[in-house]
This record gives sequence, structure tokens and C-alpha cells, in this order.
Amino acid sequence: MMIDRRRLLAGSSAFTAAMCLGAPALLGQAKQRVVVIGGGAGGATAAKYIARDSAGALDVVLVEPASEFMTCFHSNLYLGGFRDLKSITHSYDKLTSAYGVRHNRQAATQIDRDKKEVVLADGSRLPYDRVVVSPGIDLKYDSIPGWSQEHEESMPHAWKAGKQTEILKARLAAVPDGGTIVMIAPPNPYRCPPGPYERVSMMAHVLKTAGKTKCKIMVIDPKESFSKQGLFQAGWEKYYPGMVEWLGPKIHDGLKSVDPRTNTVETGFETYKNAALVNVIPAQWAGRIARDAGLANGSGYCAIDPETMRSSVDANIYVIGDACIAGDMPKSAFAANSQAKVAALNLRAELTGARAFPARYANTCWSLIAPDDTVKVGGSYGAKDGKIAAITTFVSQTGETEAMRKEQQAENMGWYAGITSDMFG
Amino acid sequence: MNKGRLSHPVLLAAALAAGSGSVEASPRGDRAFGEYLSAECVTCHQVTGRATGGIPPIVAWPEDQFIAVMQSYKAKDRDNNVMQTMAGRLSEDEIAALAAYFGSLPIQPLGN
Repeated sequence: MMIDRRRLLAGSSAFTAAMCLGAPALLGQAKQRVVVIGGGAGGATAAKYIARDSAGALDVVLVEPASEFMTCFHSNLYLGGFRDLKSITHSYDKLTSAYGVRHNRQAATQIDRDKKEVVLADGSRLPYDRVVVSPGIDLKYDSIPGWSQEHEESMPHAWKAGKQTEILKARLAAVPDGGTIVMIAPPNPYRCPPGPYERVSMMAHVLKTAGKTKCKIMVIDPKESFSKQGLFQAGWEKYYPGMVEWLGPKIHDGLKSVDPRTNTVETGFETYKNAALVNVIPAQWAGRIARDAGLANGSGYCAIDPETMRSSVDANIYVIGDACIAGDMPKSAFAANSQAKVAALNLRAELTGARAFPARYANTCWSLIAPDDTVKVGGSYGAKDGKIAAITTFVSQTGETEAMRKEQQAENMGWYAGITSDMFG
Repeated sequence: MNKGRLSHPVLLAAALAAGSGSVEASPRGDRAFGEYLSAECVTCHQVTGRATGGIPPIVAWPEDQFIAVMQSYKAKDRDNNVMQTMAGRLSEDEIAALAAYFGSLPIQPLGN
């Protein structure tokens, strides 16, 4: 009986809300407008869930210039030869055909918060009732002395998937046996905490497979420690002995500069000249559109209400994914997808009277160290003390059986199919 | 209604049995609540019932089976730290709601 009563109450409140909020629609005026900025793990999920679950009651526009999306997640597996580009590239077609999302293929350049309009690259404006901001990260091109955007082909970052990913793979293939690769790892907080170290693993795997075991990968890290450090370092020792050297700030004594013309990297401790490949992963902050709109604080990222994912500075705006300050959650596709669902639920509750429930978040990040050897870290999260706080977390252990690590790689592949189906399917 | 008749123990028991029967006819869990909770699951488990790699399908299961499996993860009788974490956070009602929701979903054939 409780179930029936709850359903009845939920239904009647939704009906009442529809009667009030839907009145303009009944009079032939426009539906309430939702604009989603960015078609990645956060934005694509939010657009799909809002459009699907509001069943035509809201006008949902996804502002994303690309016709298809190449995932940053699993681009390391492309680098390692475990995936092709096609398998990490996804169309937005089903969002429009099955769920009624309108895909506006332009870049959003500005959010006019006073007028509640999103300004597009061609100067046109999209009015909104609510906007979901999911621009991901921007790279700080001035954070590495001697390196800037004009050098991203000679010293690729490959921290946004696309052409950069292909450049890095081609450059890796051209590294001669005995060559030195220098990776400059980013400071916290940045997209995909285990990403640089999975990339090191994939680079070493490619070199080893090609018989280039005299190569050396030097990791110049501004951090004292990094995600899954013990697991990665044990893996490097096991599979790629002598090929990977990780240097924390106490050892390298600070990155002094890079010279893209001579492929030189200078640290306080040593200068690496004529490197075969330098992979610069610079510092990061929220995508420009979020910062320009005044949504970011001094950290460069955007504060949110952990109960709803609503921006702390503008009640008509939700900020999700890498651009937001998600407390204990890492910047990952899984996290962005999870945050998008909380935002979608609360946005629908506001605009259509849908049932709202307490925010729940989840994350898991799998990392491939070698073929059939995958480790993972993850957790369950909720709103607590004004932030998204971890409730339970887990991480793989050193010494796990080969069978378990192999199973985890199968999970990793299954997760990829799952999240991309959840975003685009 | 005759108050005296309803308070008769045998009739009361019959009425309760009939009442519980009518609740049983609808899902034991709250499906809408389950749909909300399912958001955490469908990042890995495909809502279509298709499966890829090491993530099993979880739609269209009998509710009892779903509940039993989740309770095993919650009790850490079953391995897998992701599932132990997810199940560990769920109450009995939440597990029942998820069982009702996923149990009600059809397996979608390819092409849909």
C-alpha cells in the first residue's frame, strides 16, 4: 500500500507542477529550455538523461562543435595497440534520433548569466532556463617554461583525445632503440589521476614489443606521490625492468625548462638532451567558458552544491565533470557520468516536478599496466559537510593473482562498452 | 463495515493475507526508486541487457536471484571490490527496489 500511495503522491505532485510550469506550453509558448555545453562524459550523459526522462517536456540543446566524440578514456589503450581509433570514437546520432536532443554543432563562447543566454561562435544566442556546463579541462599552456601551444606538435600533450593522440602514437613508434622518452607529469588537480602512469606503461609495452628494451622513459613529476603508485611501480619492475624511471620533486629538484627545438628537458638535477620524445602534460583548470562566466574560484575550478551539482554562484547553472570541484571524487569520465545523472535528476525536479532523491555518486578507474594486467581504484560518494565525500573506497593490491588481474582487464573493457552505451546509446 | 467481524482473528488474518497478496502482485520494491538507484549501475551494466567483456548483464533477472546476489556482495561472500562497495552501501529496501527495476526491464535485441 505504501508503494501505491507514494506513487500516487509523486504522480499528483508532478501533475500539479506540470499544470503550473507547463502553462506556457499549453498556451502555445516555448517549452522550458535546457542548454548543455560540451558533449563529453558529463555533457552527453546529462543531455541524454534530461531529454529521455523528461519525455519531450523540456527543450534540450547540446552545444558541441564535433560531430563525433573521441574518448580520452581508453586512448592510452589505443597508444598501447589494444584499441583502434574507431573503437574509441562515438556518434551523437542516437541522442538526437532516439531522445530528441537537438545538437547545435558550434562552440559555445560565452554564458551571459544576466540575460540567461549562451553565446555561440557565430554570435547567435541560445536562451536558457537552465544550463549544464561540462567543458572539461583547459591546459595551462604557460605552466611549463619554454613550452606553449605552438609546441604541442613537437612536444605533444595528448591530454585531449583527437589529433594529439595520433601524434603521440606516431612519435612513439618512431623512437629508436636506446632512445629516451621524457614525460612531464602534471600537478594536481588534473584529468585522470592514473592516466600519466598508465600511459608510461603503454609506452613501455610498445617499446618492449618492438624489441626496443634499451629505451628509457623518464617521468619528471611535480608530485611527491601519485595514484596507484605502488601498483604501477611494481608493474614497471615486473614487465619493463630498467625501462622506467620515476623522479619526484625531491629527486629532480624542479623542472627548469624545456626546449622544443632541441628536445631538451632541464631539471635542477639533470639535463636530458635530444630526447626521442617529450610528452608534456601541463597543469590544468576548468574550461575557459566556465572561468569566463565567473563560475570558477581561485583554484581555477568551479564550486558546486554536492547535493545537486548546482553551481555555488548561479542557481540556474549546473557544473559537472572535470571543470567542477568534486571533493573526494577524481576527475574521470566515470565521475562525470555519475555527476551528470545527479544534475539531470535535480534539474528535472526543478523544471518538471520529477521526483528528486538524495545525491549518490560512484567512480572506478581501471588502468592497464601490461596485457592482461589491470588494476583499479574506486569508491562510493555522497554529499557530506558541504562537499562530495567518499563513503567507501577500494584499490587493487600488489600481489593479486594473474587471474584476478586478467579479470579486471575484462571488466575494464566491459565498463568502456557500458559507459559509452550509457552516454551515446 | 462491521468492526466486530474484522477484529475476529481468523478473518483479520485472511484480510491481511489478501492485502499482502495484492502488494505481492506489484513489485516488492519501489520501481521508480530503483530506477534512480540504477543510475550507479548502468555506467558499467548495459541497460539493454547486452554484455561486453567482464561486465555481466543484470536485466530481466528474477527478483529473488538479484537480491540474493546483491546480499552476497554486501556480505562479502562474493569477490569483486567494485560490487562489494556498491552493494555495501545499499539497504535491503534499496536492493529490493533495484531488483524490481532491473527485473522489469526487457532484454533488447541488437539493432534497437
